Amino acid sequence: MKYMLLICVGEDVQLTPEEGAEMERATLAWVDEMEGRGVRLQGAPLQPVSDATTVRVRQDEVLISDGPFAETKEQIGGFDILDCTDLDQAIEVAAKHPVARIGTIEVRPFWVDEDGN
Amino acid sequence: MRFLMLHRIDETATFEPADDPGVPGSAAARAMDAWVREMEGTGVKKYGGHLRPTGEAVTVRVRGGEVLVSDGPFAETKEQIAGFDLLECAGRDAAIEVAARHPTARIGTFELRPLVRS
Repeated sequence: MKYMLLICVGEDVQLTPEEGAEMERATLAWVDEMEGRGVRLQGAPLQPVSDATTVRVRQDEVLISDGPFAETKEQIGGFDILDCTDLDQAIEVAAKHPVARIGTIEVRPFWVDEDGN
Repeated sequence: MRFLMLHRIDETATFEPADDPGVPGSAAARAMDAWVREMEGTGVKKYGGHLRPTGEAVTVRVRGGEVLVSDGPFAETKEQIAGFDLLECAGRDAAIEVAARHPTARIGTFELRPLVRS
């Protein structure tokens, strides 16, 4: 089954340069481990929400605004696409992600069509 | 540049019946298929997926070495993420044009987020 991990971190979380470097090193180690196990298919860190653009179309008019859709304390900082045997494995993989120690990871299953895609 | 296009939808929102891409064979379904074919054919859409409702979401935190698992999404907001597309575009304006032509833009909101390493 496919799952999406939304990697969320509070805007008030401040890391020292040393902590930031350790987080990056640990995250790269997580990526290597999960790709080696064949559970991570895709993923990337995102630029901060100050670089976000939202797009809507209402009555055929395109409405564009800067910033994220929601003013929440935690914002999405990255994502990973997993292929796991079940939710328990997806939770195990999420819990091993270093950002789980300072933020929150939302695990969402994909819709599956009749072809199993 | 690569962008993650997050599909934000009020989970109670519905299309007008004549405008619903979920109705097989309808004009709206053909418009959705045409968007996907065009964006995959031109190499703009690299990857995408439709997520199950937030009622099936689980959040995971680790604090003091303990794994904390709870049901539901990370944020209690009216609009929730229903899907995503990974886009390869020349820049922000091109990504906006691609988002505005997706049928779901009429009932939801797309959040475009540039990737750190494009």
